[in-house]
Amino acid sequence: MSRRLVGSIAATLVMVLAAGCGGSSEANGKIELSLGLFSDFGYDKLIEEYQASHSNIKIEQRKVKMEQHNTQLATQLAGGRGAADIVALEEGVVSQFRASKDKFVNLAEYGAKDLKAQWADWKWNQGTADGGEFVLGLGTDMGSLGLCYRRDLFEAAGLPTDRKEVAKLWPTWADYAKVADQFTAKTPNVKFVDTGRNVYKAILDQTEEGYFAKDDSYIAEKNDKVKTAFDTAAALGTKKQTGALEPFSQEWNVALKQGSFATTTCPAWALALIKAGAGDAAAGKWDVTTAPGGGGNWGGSFLAIPKQGKHPKEAYELAKWLTAPEQQKRIFKETGNLPSQPKVYQDAEVQATVNEYFNKAPVGQIFASSAESLKPTYRGTKDSKVGPVFGTALTRVEQGKQSAADAWTQALKEAQDAVK
Amino acid sequence: MTDLRTRTEAAPAASVPSSTQSKRFGLSRWDAKYTPYLIVAPFFVVFAIFGLYPLVYTAWVSLHDWQLIDGNQGFVGLANYAHLFGDANFWNALFNTLSLFVLSTVPQLLAALGLAALLDRGLRGSAFWRAGVLLPNVISVAAVALVFAQFFGRDFGIVNYLLGLVGIDPVDWRADTWASHLAVSTMVMWRWTGYNALLYLAAMQSVPKDMYESATLDGASRWRMFWSITVPSIRPTILFTVVTSTIGGLQLFAEPALFDPGFAANNSTGGSDRQFQTLVLYMYEKGFRLFDAGYAATVAWMLFLVVLVVAIVNFSLTRRIAGKE
Repeated sequence: MSRRLVGSIAATLVMVLAAGCGGSSEANGKIELSLGLFSDFGYDKLIEEYQASHSNIKIEQRKVKMEQHNTQLATQLAGGRGAADIVALEEGVVSQFRASKDKFVNLAEYGAKDLKAQWADWKWNQGTADGGEFVLGLGTDMGSLGLCYRRDLFEAAGLPTDRKEVAKLWPTWADYAKVADQFTAKTPNVKFVDTGRNVYKAILDQTEEGYFAKDDSYIAEKNDKVKTAFDTAAALGTKKQTGALEPFSQEWNVALKQGSFATTTCPAWALALIKAGAGDAAAGKWDVTTAPGGGGNWGGSFLAIPKQGKHPKEAYELAKWLTAPEQQKRIFKETGNLPSQPKVYQDAEVQATVNEYFNKAPVGQIFASSAESLKPTYRGTKDSKVGPVFGTALTRVEQGKQSAADAWTQALKEAQDAVK
Repeated sequence: MTDLRTRTEAAPAASVPSSTQSKRFGLSRWDAKYTPYLIVAPFFVVFAIFGLYPLVYTAWVSLHDWQLIDGNQGFVGLANYAHLFGDANFWNALFNTLSLFVLSTVPQLLAALGLAALLDRGLRGSAFWRAGVLLPNVISVAAVALVFAQFFGRDFGIVNYLLGLVGIDPVDWRADTWASHLAVSTMVMWRWTGYNALLYLAAMQSVPKDMYESATLDGASRWRMFWSITVPSIRPTILFTVVTSTIGGLQLFAEPALFDPGFAANNSTGGSDRQFQTLVLYMYEKGFRLFDAGYAATVAWMLFLVVLVVAIVNFSLTRRIAGKE
């Protein structure tokens, strides 16, 4: 609570100092814009170019871990100062910040609605409020689903290794569970999947309504799809076919390096994480194929402009440029972040892109076709508060602390508390 | 500044004529009366801004439905407190806090005593050892937690590997309540034992040597001398360390937070079933994950009261022991 006061004192000091040196925010007559980001948006080169073509603009990137970014942003919005001129909002939390949209600039005021046609409809809609009247953010990438698997471990278990053959093994998640049984029977010491939580999340991301109905009412306890997703993931955990790892944690990285699990769910942005964790020694061992159960979206972000910034017009111009089709295409080629604009992911050059590390998998084609068939999940305002409760419940099952049924009951109770 | 000047002027005032003398005398009386207050004022001003104001403001917030971003949503009186007393997760966090506190503080202070006794014997290269025991304390807690989290890894951790050598099954350090408390306490002990040992050492050095000499003449053993001379002589220091580690221990946050791999992923519940969620972690979860600032403020105030109660217990202990001497 003292944060606010400390903040105001710090801000006063900064103002005094800034006044002393003649105003640092517009040093040399340049407008300084800050970008609050997490992980890798692939903006480094683009920003240099933008500064070169806009001599009056100076851009500063601030990168922190995603969760830290969200917490910081929340406190900055609450305190009324400190937020970057442009901030990235991840798909999982955008609904939560949408509820506080009065802290953000309505981009429609700067003509954002004219850009609507660039994005896939669902992506555009996720970034808007009030039936499209309020434009909160412009879409960056998206996280269409794939499934990554270790070719060598599949071979050891007597399973096919070709990505088309593997895709045929699991049209549905029930089939995926059957493959898990076959795999475990042959090679019991290797885990089939890293964590039940990602399986659960992936299944849920393939449905149109998860914890919340489209009218934002809480429906987790009566939505069969949530229960089915939970049961599927919990069954893998009960049978000890999961590594019981915290997704994307240090231990997850170690397990990747040790090759102790054979499959993992792969939204487009996860390829870079797998490559970083598994290292060069595993090059060509991982491959990527179609996920069971069809297309789905997990992640992807938006660029929004907090009202507290001093240069909303210039910030908007920059955000508009960074999310434009030409730039999205370049980012895909450089980092693999999947464009959220159909014209871009249908582009011949994008479709022809292969990923060397993943055994030359045609990632452009795999993710684009997954994007075509996806039904985006409606994210409720309190989605980011409810989701983790089910995640920890699955961890309890994997740890052998609770039965699937008990974990489910406890999760429902905790979720009920979280939506209150 | 002006007060200092009046003071220096007031000194020779005795020799000046009486008409101005009374005036000067009045000024110096004002000076004597208020200058001390002015001199100590900076502390109180700083305390009011950084200590008292947040305390009162937090209390104010705890009486409201207060969302982190959207702010005040209306006065709710003591509803947050009423909810807190029926909140199983709060009691769980309180239990974890006290358990971690006892598990880390008691062995820590005993080990620090032993370490200080060793250092007090005049080892060769004593400066090296003394600096060495402080080393864990100056290393960033994040680095410590990162390394210990690896040690206590379930699948590839060193501790489980060593246990395996003596035929013990691997322990899932984050799944079991006691195992997790043990692991987190180890981290705390590693960081603070050396620091406390140095405080004890400083106190031990001021114990008069002739007491040991006469005890030796009486034929007392080293063990006996340690418990009958050394420990009673450094009692005030022991009580000081008890109080400071109480306050630090009850506010434990960084170690359990970083021990939980879910903390980075915003699942900051301190374990899958809140096995090692301390009060501060619970406050963090409420305030910064669920954005319920009102409830987080309530937890903060309860934590303040808990620390206060334990501090009062320690204070009365201090007085009792001081009275005995």
